Amino acid sequence: MKPARFEYLAPTSVEEAVSLLVEGGEDAKLLAGGQSLVPLMNLRLAQPSVLIDLNKVEGISSITESEDAVVIGSMARHRAVAESEVVRRFLPLLAESAGHIGYPAIRARGTIGGSIAHADPVSEFPCACLCLHAEFVLTGPAGTRQVRAEDFFVSYLTTALSPDEILTEVRFPKPSPGLGWGFLELARKTGDFALAAVAATVALSPDGTCSEASIAVAGGGDRPLRMVEAETMLKGNQGDDVIARAATAAATSSNPPSDIHSSGDFRRQMIEVLTRRVLTAAWGNARRGE
Amino acid sequence: MTQSLAPRLLGAKVKRVEDPRFLLGKARYIDDMVRPGMLHAAFLRSPIPHGNVRSVDVGPALAMERVRAALTGRDIATKVKPIVCDSTFEGFKSSNYHAIALDKVRYVGEALAIVAADTRYIAEDAIEMIEFDIDELGPVASIAAATREGAPLLHEHWGDNFFIEDLLEAGDVESAFRDAHGVFEINVSNQRHSGIPLETRGVIAEFDSDGVLTMWSATQIPHMVRTGMADCLEVPEHKIRVIAPDVGGGFGPKGHLFPEELAVCQLAIETGRPIKWIEDRREHMLSTFHAREHYHRVKVAYTEEGVVTALDATIEVDCGAYSIYPWTAAMDVEMGLVMLPGPYKIRNFRCEAQSVATNKCPFGAYRGVARTAVCFSIERIMDQVANKVGLDPVEVRRRNLIRSDEFPYMSITGMEYDSGSLIESLDKVCDEADYKAMRQFQEEARSEGRMVGIGVSVFTEQTAPPADKGLPLNFSWDAATVRMDPSGKVVVQVGTHSHGQGHETTLAQIVADELELPLADVRIAFGDTESTPNGIGTFASRSAVVAGSASYLAAVSVKENLTERAAHLLEASVEDVEVKAGRISVKGAPEQSVSIAEVARISYHHPELLDPSMEPLLEAVATYNAGPGTYANSAQIALIEVDAETGKFKILRYLVVEDCGQMINPTIVDGQVHGGIAQGLGGALFEELIYDDEGQLLTTTFLDYLMPGATDIPNIEVSHLVTPSAFVPNGIKGMGEGGAVAPGAVLACAIEDAIKPIGEVFVDRTPLTPERVVRFIEAASSGGGVE
Repeated sequence: MKPARFEYLAPTSVEEAVSLLVEGGEDAKLLAGGQSLVPLMNLRLAQPSVLIDLNKVEGISSITESEDAVVIGSMARHRAVAESEVVRRFLPLLAESAGHIGYPAIRARGTIGGSIAHADPVSEFPCACLCLHAEFVLTGPAGTRQVRAEDFFVSYLTTALSPDEILTEVRFPKPSPGLGWGFLELARKTGDFALAAVAATVALSPDGTCSEASIAVAGGGDRPLRMVEAETMLKGNQGDDVIARAATAAATSSNPPSDIHSSGDFRRQMIEVLTRRVLTAAWGNARRGE
Repeated sequence: MTQSLAPRLLGAKVKRVEDPRFLLGKARYIDDMVRPGMLHAAFLRSPIPHGNVRSVDVGPALAMERVRAALTGRDIATKVKPIVCDSTFEGFKSSNYHAIALDKVRYVGEALAIVAADTRYIAEDAIEMIEFDIDELGPVASIAAATREGAPLLHEHWGDNFFIEDLLEAGDVESAFRDAHGVFEINVSNQRHSGIPLETRGVIAEFDSDGVLTMWSATQIPHMVRTGMADCLEVPEHKIRVIAPDVGGGFGPKGHLFPEELAVCQLAIETGRPIKWIEDRREHMLSTFHAREHYHRVKVAYTEEGVVTALDATIEVDCGAYSIYPWTAAMDVEMGLVMLPGPYKIRNFRCEAQSVATNKCPFGAYRGVARTAVCFSIERIMDQVANKVGLDPVEVRRRNLIRSDEFPYMSITGMEYDSGSLIESLDKVCDEADYKAMRQFQEEARSEGRMVGIGVSVFTEQTAPPADKGLPLNFSWDAATVRMDPSGKVVVQVGTHSHGQGHETTLAQIVADELELPLADVRIAFGDTESTPNGIGTFASRSAVVAGSASYLAAVSVKENLTERAAHLLEASVEDVEVKAGRISVKGAPEQSVSIAEVARISYHHPELLDPSMEPLLEAVATYNAGPGTYANSAQIALIEVDAETGKFKILRYLVVEDCGQMINPTIVDGQVHGGIAQGLGGALFEELIYDDEGQLLTTTFLDYLMPGATDIPNIEVSHLVTPSAFVPNGIKGMGEGGAVAPGAVLACAIEDAIKPIGEVFVDRTPLTPERVVRFIEAASSGGGVE
């Protein structure tokens, strides 16, 4: 379990990192928290010839707030995200989801950008980002571009990132006051990979009906999924029945895989259960927009 | 009369003397060791489960820079004999387990070559360069595949894939079934998993110019490994030294002779360089022997009162590719065969047992060999009987358990239970749990629509067992040397090995008590065949009994010598002196005394002051033979709450009553119970080594193989009964494995109980994954839950 030979580079700026990435070509890999890449390298399933370590790059790990957005540097650790005052205030769902990622040691090392760029379909952050309408800032040789979470996750471990781009920032629009939220995950054991996880936000009209909903599911397919049909069903409605129907719709829209931990059928069943519970929780903590 | 000022250490909650070393990171494991000129080895392991090896070419690897040596099966064929470990039972079929595969590979992970290089990195690079050609044969990845008509044969000359088929019949099974009030059959299984120590295996081998082979290995059984090495290598046993330093967890898997040990030694012999091999986690999953995979079918006869009168059983064990040293491929079936009735008075018994060879990693020892599986079966049976006759699961057990006044009890399978407190343990665990209140809580919770269940289990723990399972060696004994130095302090050298059990504390407690010395004056040494008496090792809950008693007997002997010498120096007769608190004095005249230290000093440095018949040496070697072994027992209760939609459940309470006779150190006993329960819960809930139908292991990382973490283990409430062993000195019994035995049975019982308001269901297997629990609930609600 020793990695194959590789060249190790440690740039200190984003520009330098991008140019090294361009130079390194297809065989270059970026090292963020290393929580997925390093095990893969040790198993020799990944054998990059050049490893570009982002840990010394300045200016991409802060968590700040602007008038309409929360901006998280891609090298912010899971733990920093979970404990950030700004995140807890504006994006409690994101903070909650961070607590489900692995164990304290992993959260101390892993980064939000690493998790998003790795794009494991059962990961918490991609799911939370999708639910919270995040946009990702990608920096390449030609400058930066912004990609919405919905357009970013392509399929299993595959994203809209070009080989010469680095994910440098995650931008979350500040939610409207009173937005209800929930995040629930089912894993075989604490800290383990999710069998399924569901994130949802609900905004309520003064009459108690849903004015806006966002539902994202991890473990429902080859990437995190937005449950558009379920969201549409909720709008203008309220009550346990519509929540139950939305949950069923979310399950139906999912196509989870089978593996040694669970069948796809069970995952789909759990997506229904979790969606119902998450929506109920979100409804419960949403404040009517009067 | 002077009284000893020192309180007795036996039974005291003494802090573990070895803890500072481990807690401060000062322990020295194999991987901490560096030898001059040491090379690093890596193994090429077969990716193919079953095939004929046509060629393995290490040439391209050897051509690499800083690669120093490589060996294939052919290279060592004439020098290293295969591991052969045959059961003495009739009909057992022998297998040749080569250190490196020769003509055939029989499981994914079997070694095809070993390479030594300047670093492990380079060795792993070199492994990738080795070219090999294997003619694939059909994989045999399950018992069904192995026993099917026309199945490919692992060992062609056998004619089938059975290591052994055995039958035990006692009493009158036929009549019992004919006269039964009711009869039913259960079909249950436990999944393949194993002990996963934090430290993986590791070996350093060094061959010196005198022809002495030294092997440092993370093993539980240095002496037995040395014998096995001498059997296989061209080095005689007196020129082999095995050192097992600090070992980071054993649990049984490290209690074998491994082919890797032989291969690393041979490479050291051939290169003249020290060779280090550290197993990585993937290798551990693939090639450290697996355990637990049992399939039981049991027909049960019972009376109207819920008393089980007969069992008619079949035990099948998927034993993997080879018979392993020293336990053989018969260990699990033979142990299962005799222990299936467990703590219950069942007098008519028939059991067929089959140990099946498959293209999987060989099957070896893991904490509670076979007893987890038989406990699961017999406890599932008790729960079924309770259901059928309408009894509480506690009451049905009470009616079947052996009563205390029936010990010593000869089981129907010929096991001699020396003593026990089965019913008392069950009653005590119910008291501790406040069973009535627990049932009341359950009723209230059920009325609120919550799914709450209670599970119970009782079992006997065979400890320090003998070799009556057809093993090729008898391991009912062990040895200790108690050596007093000229300052009157003591080193105790034992043949057992401590890798978490706390022997450095417990054995010292026994010896310090006997010699009337403070604990700090006694040091325990083990793990080096050069400096310890020949012994057997640590496994099977035996060390407290055999090493504890051997240490005790040697201490008694040293004390006699001390007393004799002191009496001579005090000009008194031996009967008139006594040893108390570090001094030996004339009874009734404490002013006439001499310290132990003074006697020791005189004994070694002024022997002329002693009687000429007295030898200077204050040292004794003793062995202790535990004969048929001694039986501890335990009862456990769990209260769980199930999330009916997700199948996840919380263990609200987990209670244990442990009776291991006289405790040496209750804190260590509790620690062993906690660790055992944690491993038992791991097996009940998470851990599984899964092969696909093609014989590929799917669980080679912790991504796939789930281990319980601290947050998955409930608070464990332990209390004790003390029924001393009927024959072991100080009344000691073993207890290391027990905790691991029952959690599967307890939780299966609790889940059935939780589901009961919805409908009846039979929980027939572990692990109890969320999906499985949900399916049980669905089956219960559709009325199709019982076979």
